[in-house]
Amino acid sequence: MSNQIIAPKVDPFTLDIVKDSLVAIGEEMFYALARTSMSPIIYEVLDYASGLTDSKGQLLTQGNGVTGFIGMLSFMVKETVERYNKSGDLKPGDIILINDPYGGGGSHLCDVGLVMPIFYKGELVAFSANKAHWTEVGGKDAGSMSTNSTEIYQEGLQFPCVKLYDEGKLNQAVVDIIAANVRFPDLSLGDMWAQVAALKTGDRRFRELCDKYGKDIVKNSIDHLLDHGEQLSLKALKELPKGTFEAVDYIDDDGIEEGPFKVQLKLEIRDDAFICDFRGSHPQVTGSINSTLTGMISSVRTIFLAITNPSQDVNDGAFRPLKILTDEGSVFNAVRPAPVSMYWESMLFGCDLVWKALAPVIPDRLTAGHLLSVCVAIVGGKHQDTDEPFLIVEPSVGGWGAAVDRDGDPAQFCILDGETFNIPVEVCETRNGVLVDEYSLNTDGAGAGEFRGGQGVIRSYRAMTDNQFVTASFGRHKFNVWGAEGGKEGSNNKFEIVKSDGSVDGPFGKYNQYPLMKNEVVRLITATGGGYGNPLDRPVEKVVLDVKNEYITVEQAKADYGVVIDPVTLEVQGITAEREEKERV
Amino acid sequence: MRVATDIGGTFTDLVYVDDGGKMGIAKSHTTPPNFERGVMNVLDESEINLDQLNTFIHGTTVIINALTERKGVKTGLITTKGFRDVLEIARGNRPDLFNVRYEKPTPFVPRHLRQEVEERLTYKGEVIEPLNKERVKEIVDYFKKENVQAVAVSFLHSYSNDTHEKETVELVKELWPEVAVTASHEVTKEWREYERTSTTVLNSYVKPIASSYVDRLENELKEAGTESNKYIMQSNGGTTTFDQSKQTPINMLESGPVAGIYGSAILGKMLGEDNIIAFDIGGTTAKCSLIDKGEVKVSTDYSIERTDRTAGYPVKVPVVDIVEIGNGGGSIAWIDDGGSLRVGPKSAGALPGPVAYGRGGEEPTTTDANLVVGRLSPANFDNDVDMEKVKQAITEKIAKPFSTTVEEAALGIIRIANSNMLNALKLISVRKGYDPREFTLVAFGGGGSMHAPALAKELGVNKVIVPVGASVFSAWGMLMTDLRHDYIQTYIRRVEGIDFSELNMQLEVQETQAVAQYKDEGVEEEDVILTRFADLRYLGQEHTVKVPVPAGEITEESMKQVIEKFHETHEQLYTFKLKGAPTEIVNLHLTAFGTVQKPELAKLPATEGTAEDALKEVRSVLYEEDGWVDTKVYDRTKLGAEVTIEGPAIVEEQSNSTVLYPGQQLTVDSYGNLIIEVGV
Repeated sequence: MSNQIIAPKVDPFTLDIVKDSLVAIGEEMFYALARTSMSPIIYEVLDYASGLTDSKGQLLTQGNGVTGFIGMLSFMVKETVERYNKSGDLKPGDIILINDPYGGGGSHLCDVGLVMPIFYKGELVAFSANKAHWTEVGGKDAGSMSTNSTEIYQEGLQFPCVKLYDEGKLNQAVVDIIAANVRFPDLSLGDMWAQVAALKTGDRRFRELCDKYGKDIVKNSIDHLLDHGEQLSLKALKELPKGTFEAVDYIDDDGIEEGPFKVQLKLEIRDDAFICDFRGSHPQVTGSINSTLTGMISSVRTIFLAITNPSQDVNDGAFRPLKILTDEGSVFNAVRPAPVSMYWESMLFGCDLVWKALAPVIPDRLTAGHLLSVCVAIVGGKHQDTDEPFLIVEPSVGGWGAAVDRDGDPAQFCILDGETFNIPVEVCETRNGVLVDEYSLNTDGAGAGEFRGGQGVIRSYRAMTDNQFVTASFGRHKFNVWGAEGGKEGSNNKFEIVKSDGSVDGPFGKYNQYPLMKNEVVRLITATGGGYGNPLDRPVEKVVLDVKNEYITVEQAKADYGVVIDPVTLEVQGITAEREEKERV
Repeated sequence: MRVATDIGGTFTDLVYVDDGGKMGIAKSHTTPPNFERGVMNVLDESEINLDQLNTFIHGTTVIINALTERKGVKTGLITTKGFRDVLEIARGNRPDLFNVRYEKPTPFVPRHLRQEVEERLTYKGEVIEPLNKERVKEIVDYFKKENVQAVAVSFLHSYSNDTHEKETVELVKELWPEVAVTASHEVTKEWREYERTSTTVLNSYVKPIASSYVDRLENELKEAGTESNKYIMQSNGGTTTFDQSKQTPINMLESGPVAGIYGSAILGKMLGEDNIIAFDIGGTTAKCSLIDKGEVKVSTDYSIERTDRTAGYPVKVPVVDIVEIGNGGGSIAWIDDGGSLRVGPKSAGALPGPVAYGRGGEEPTTTDANLVVGRLSPANFDNDVDMEKVKQAITEKIAKPFSTTVEEAALGIIRIANSNMLNALKLISVRKGYDPREFTLVAFGGGGSMHAPALAKELGVNKVIVPVGASVFSAWGMLMTDLRHDYIQTYIRRVEGIDFSELNMQLEVQETQAVAQYKDEGVEEEDVILTRFADLRYLGQEHTVKVPVPAGEITEESMKQVIEKFHETHEQLYTFKLKGAPTEIVNLHLTAFGTVQKPELAKLPATEGTAEDALKEVRSVLYEEDGWVDTKVYDRTKLGAEVTIEGPAIVEEQSNSTVLYPGQQLTVDSYGNLIIEVGV
C-alpha cells in the first residue's frame, strides 16, 4: 500500500486541502486556550491539549503542549459517546465535563477535560475536545497532588462525564460545586471558561469547513486523514528491524511503601504491528504513582511516534499498528480507587522501557536515557508583600541522554512534556513569596561518554515568609539514568532542604508538604542524562573544553576520560595508561 | 530628493522620489561581504545626482546575516551570581514534541565566557546585595585574556532598576574603552531574564559588525559627495539614525520585510483605505501582516531561527507582526510518505531555482506550475524556458503518482500552495476576530499579484491593490517612513487602586526620554508624535492585550475607557471577556515617531488610449473552476490611468504577473496602481 496513492472519491488535492484545514483548526483551538488561561501550568507549561475527533472519537488533529496527552482526548470522547449518545441525548450546545481517570479521563484529577459534540444540519459529525491541567481541583492538599494519598477520593473533585452545558444552557450547580470545593476558584473557573471558548472556536471552524466543502467531502477527508496517518506508520514500521526486544527497570517507590517495583516489557516489531507487552509488571501500589490504562497508552504512543515518524501531524490512524498489553490491576493499568495524582512516575516507564529496549537497535532515532520524571514541585504559602496566598505548581527541566553523534541536551523537560516552558525567575519572584537563590546547571559530571549526557539543573527557592510548604515528586531518585553503548550512567533527581543554620535535610525523591520557615531553602536538583559510547573515545580537546567550561572537573577528566589536565593552566599533561591502551587498539 | 536602498539576498534595490514627485527605480547585484559596494553601485546605476539628495534611507540584511551565519564577534556575558546558565537553560521547551533527538539551540556565549558577579535586586528593584565592583574588574581581566571583543551585561530585575547594570557598563568602559558593551536595559526593559539576556547577547555579538558596516557606508557616501540625512530602517517599521543603529543594531534585523508592510499602510492611507492586509510573496516565503485602522501592529514576541521544530533565539525588541510561511515561487512540490501532495517549505531558491530557470533545477516548483497552466509566460523570463522539461518534471514527480494529467497536477500544486497561504492569511485575520470583508489586500513581491486575486476570493476580501513597482515595494515603503523609537517598560500594577500620580510620572519619564532622544538626533519636539499603549491582562493571566492609552494625564475616568477597550479587544481576539474581573498592567509602551517631510507622488498623465492598446496576446490559461479559458494578456507599462479590464485577464510586467479571474475587474488608478474588484 505504501507507494500507491489512496484513491478517494473526490479529487485528491481537495482532500489534502480539507485535511490541512482540520490541522489548522486544531492549532487555532490550542493557541486560543494558552492566551487566555489563568494558570501558569497552562499558559507557560502548556500542560494541556486540544483537538478534534470524528463522531466515533477517533482523533483527527491535536494541538499539543505536552506529548503525554496524545490520545487522551479520544478516550474522553469515546466515554462521552458511550455514556450519552447510545440513547441519543447528546444535543447541539452540550458541553461535557470529565476528569475521572477511570472513566475516560486518563491521567489524574487535575487534568480536566471538556468535550463538545459538533452537529451539522442535525447530524453529529465530530467532537471538539480539550484537557487542561487545573492548578486546583480540591482534595486533601493544595495543588491536588500528594505523594501520600492512598485513595483517589483524597485527590480532589471527580467529574464523571457530566453536562456543564445542556443545549447551550450553563449548569450553574456544577459551577457552584466547583467554586465551593477548590482552593483557587478564580483560577480553576477562569481556565474552564478559556477551555469553553476554545471548544466553541473548534465547533465554529468545523461547521464553516462543512459549509464550504460540503459535509460529505469533509467526512471523506477525515477518512483520508486517518488513512494517511496509518500509511506513514506502516511505512516507518517496514524500515525498522524486526524481532523481539526486552527491557526491565525499577520504579523507586510509591511515597508510602519502600519499593522498588519491577516493571518489564517484551516488544515485538512486525511489518504491520508494534506490540508492547507489559504483562508481568508490578501490581498497582498503595501510593499515588499508579497509572491508568489510558495514561499508559498515551505514554507508549509518544515513544511510538518518536520511533516511527516524529514529524507528522498526529491522528489516530497513526496508532492503528500499535498494540499494548497490560495486566489489569497492575501499576500500568490500575483500578479504582487507587490514587493516581503522581501517575507519571509509572507512566513514564511505559515509554522508557520501549526506548531502552530499542536504543541499541535504532541509534539514529533514539538516545541514551534522560531524567525520566516530570519532577513536579509544589510550593505554597503567603506572599511577603501582598499577604495573599500563592501556589507554585511546576515541572522541572533536567538532562537528556547523549546520542550516537552528539552530546545530550542540558536542561530540557522530560519526554512527556514538550512545548513546555519553565517559569522565568523574574515572573516567579513577582508572583510568589520566594526568592530564587540559583538557577544553574547541575554539573555533577555524570553521564560520561564519547558523547556526554546533558546536565540537569539546580533551582533553589528561598521562602520569604513563614509557614510555607513544599511537596515534590522527583522519580528516578534511587536509580540513575541509563547510559548506552558503553556510555556511563547519568545521575538521579532529588531535592533537599537547607535550614537557616545551614544544615541540610534530605535528599528526598518524594515528600508531602515539607514545612518551610522564612529563609529556609529548598534545592531542586535534576539528573544528568546518560552518556553514549566509551568516554575514552572522547577527543582530548573536547575534554579540555569541558573542563574549561566547568562541565567536568580535572579529576573527572582523568578518572572518566583518561586525560590529565593541569588545574591552573588547563594544559594537557598527558593521558592515562588506560586511555593509551584504548587508543592503541 | 529621497532615496531608499534595500539590500536583499540577490539584489540591492533602489527607489527614489524627486522633489517633483517623480519616482524611479534601479537594481544592482548584492555584493557580500562588502555590502556597501552594492549600495554605491545601485546609486551609480540610478544616475541620480547625489548633490540633490537630502534623505538617504537604508535597509540591510547585514545584521541578520551576521547572526544566522555566526559571523559576529567573541562575546562575554556578565550575569547576577547564580544565573550564568540562564542562557543555556533557556526555557526548556521542545517544539519538535515527538523527536527525542531534538537538538537544543547552542548558546552564543560558551559557559566559560559567562561570568557571575555578586549583586541582587528584588522584583521591585530594591537592592538586596550591592554590586561587587572588584569582581567586575576580575571578569574584565579574564575577558581580555580570552580575547573577548564584546561584552553583554544582564542582571535580574534590571527592568525595574538599571543602576547595577549602568555601574557595571561604566566600569567596563573605563577599564577597557575599546570593547563593545551592551547592558540589557539598553535593548529592552521588559521582564523575563532569558529573553532579555538573549537579546543583549545577540546585540553585543553583532555590535562591532554593525559599527564597521555603518561607518564604511557612511564614508563611501561622504566621499561620493552627499550631505544628506542618513537613516537606517528598523524592525519596528520606522527608521533611526546611523549613530543609534550602531548602538542597538539588534533593532535592524527585519528591516527589509517590515518596510513593505509599512509601505502598504502608507499606500492604503494615500488611497483612502485604512484596513489593509499586506501580502508579500518572494522566492522562498510568503509574508503577511494585518493593518488595523492604519495601525501597523508591533510586538516583542520575536525570535531568530524559530520554527515549529526548533526554539530559536528570542530577540525582545519591537518587530512588526509578520506571519511568514515557507511558500514562494521557488517552493518545491513533493509527495510525502503518506501520499499527500505538499508544497514547500523546501525551496529551490535562486540556485538551481525552478526547472524553468534552466540552471539545473529538477524539482517542480510553484513557478513551474504557473507556467504549465499559462499564468506565467515563457516569454517573460530572462532565459529561454524549456517547457518540455518543465512539464516532464511535473509529470514524473506529481502527475504520474496521482494518475492525473500534467495540467491537473500543476493546478494541484497551485491549489495546495494557495491553501497554505490562505491558512497564513486566516491566521492574521479571521482567527484574530477580524472580518476580511472590511479589508483590502495589498499584494507585492515577485509573486504576490499572481496569487492574490484567487486568495482574496477565498478569504472574502473585496479589493486587491497591486502597487506600482510591486517587486521593489519594500524599498518604496522605506521612502515613506518616519523615524520611530519604541519605549517599553515592564510596570506591573493592578488597575484597581492604582496610584495615578505614580503612573503619570512613569508615563512622563518615557515621554521625556523620547523627546530628549529625538533632540539628540536633530528632530524638533513639534515633529515628534507620541502614542501610548498599555499591555493589559486579567489578573492571573500571563499573556497580554495591547490597548491604546489616551494622551494627557490619566485619571480614573480615562482609565475606565482604557479598561473598556481592553474588554472589547479581549473579546475580539479570544471570543470572551470577563467583565468585573480584576485587571493588571504589565507593560507601558510608548511609540515615538519623528516625522519627516515626505514626497507627494506624481500622478500618471491621463491617456486617451484603451486597454486594447496594451494587449500583448491572447493565450489559454487554466482556471480552477472554469477550465481552460482564452485569456487576454496586457502589458502593464502600456496601461494608462483609469483603464478598466474585465477578467479573465493577465497583466504582465517585468518579473511580475497579475492573474485576474473570470468575474473580476481591474482598474488602473491615477498613480498607476492596479485596483482589482474581487467580486465576492
